Amino acid sequence: MTRVVEVPTQFDDRTFDQFARSYAADGGGRMLFDAHAAQWASPYGLVGLLTAGQAIAETGGERPLLTLPQDRDVVHYWARAGFVRHAEQYFELHGKAPRAAARGESDVLLEITPVRGADDVHDVVGHIQDRAAAILTQELGLEATATMGFGMALSEACQNIVEHAGTGGWVAVQTYTWRRRLGRRVVVIAVADAGVGFRRSLEATQAKRFGDRWSDAAALEAALIQGVSRFRDPGRGQGLAGIRRYLNRWTGKLAVRSGTARMTMVPPWDEDAPLVDQLPPFPGTQVLMIVPAHVENG
Amino acid sequence: MTHIDLKDVLARTVSSLYGDLVTRRTGEAVRSGIEAMLSDDDETAVIDFGTVRLMDMSCADEIVGKLLLAHGLGHYFALTGVHAAHEDALLPVLERHQLAVVAEDRTGRLKVLGYLPEPARRAFGFLADAGPAPPDAVAAHLALTPDVARDALQTLCDRRVVRESGGHYQAVRCA
Repeated sequence: MTRVVEVPTQFDDRTFDQFARSYAADGGGRMLFDAHAAQWASPYGLVGLLTAGQAIAETGGERPLLTLPQDRDVVHYWARAGFVRHAEQYFELHGKAPRAAARGESDVLLEITPVRGADDVHDVVGHIQDRAAAILTQELGLEATATMGFGMALSEACQNIVEHAGTGGWVAVQTYTWRRRLGRRVVVIAVADAGVGFRRSLEATQAKRFGDRWSDAAALEAALIQGVSRFRDPGRGQGLAGIRRYLNRWTGKLAVRSGTARMTMVPPWDEDAPLVDQLPPFPGTQVLMIVPAHVENG
Repeated sequence: MTHIDLKDVLARTVSSLYGDLVTRRTGEAVRSGIEAMLSDDDETAVIDFGTVRLMDMSCADEIVGKLLLAHGLGHYFALTGVHAAHEDALLPVLERHQLAVVAEDRTGRLKVLGYLPEPARRAFGFLADAGPAPPDAVAAHLALTPDVARDALQTLCDRRVVRESGGHYQAVRCA
């Protein structure tokens, strides 16, 4: 018996919970991730989909099926973003997958890249820094100082996988214009892993302190607001705070989803809720960072 | 004075292929490289950030935070070639550990980064601009009472960002 997991036609952070609900629904059997009708997917959607496949593989589940988008342009974009290449590890692919992705000038700043160790973090930061500098200053109109902070935020987000997830993860960076949502150009960083999540990572040191309140939401609060870490080293727990400071300075957005909760640092241009819990469960942690173009008095 | 080029230490301890100070593992390796270069005496170790493009907070914690915690009482440290993005990574680390360190930016301006009471910060600014001075000169220039000025200078000495010699106080410098 096959259980279908619907991939939303517009697959991004706003439809991710719909995807997670379908993923978490009861029912056994082999899973079929149905993306045939997909028309668009953000980096957040694509790394989330890979995370689902990774989680099934790492828990010994049967290799799931994935129907690729029927739309030729869409599936080419998925290939260009690096998704198809990595998806072959975890899914039995159905549909026409482009053999070779066209390279060259692209909005994909960093194609989907695995993060398993410190060397991967060096490679990611080193690879992206020059192009990110050009885009942040020339296309988004940010000051030159935004560039270094961008690399720092990217590095810290990737290191959370290396230090805390207990397994590998994924990062992708893309720039595009949000015509309807914001009317501005943005750079989006998506980082996801299929690891233990914040609650399990912090449980040994924090659960007692929170008592009955201990939950995915409480763990996110402890990490993002209070800067706690599972390590006793007092120098730990600063990475997420650094990311928050960077995004706050450039009116950016940070959203961290772990387990059944999502905490968001909501910028003035967005209407997301600061904390949502009792979401459909999803493996690991998903981090979304958005840096928008500068506008005067914006 | 010992001059320590971070890019050289990074190449020697981690890889010559990397140009950025990112990850805790890299920070630990670079700190070990710096520790091997420290002399036993009270000379100033000048750590040169001028050739480093990017440093994240994990590396800042491992390299500067833990270096000062472990060796800050036995050595004087000064940072040179520091730009605004380096400061963004360094300041939270120094505040978190309640540490302070002398830093020279790329224009040659000397300042103290990190955790300091306001009178001590002002006293450091005066010594950095005016050169060595006795406590009464610091008190007079900053309109502080003699006791407050002495406390501020003692705080700066305790943090190893100022040296006292023959009754005069002098900011630790990079050259």
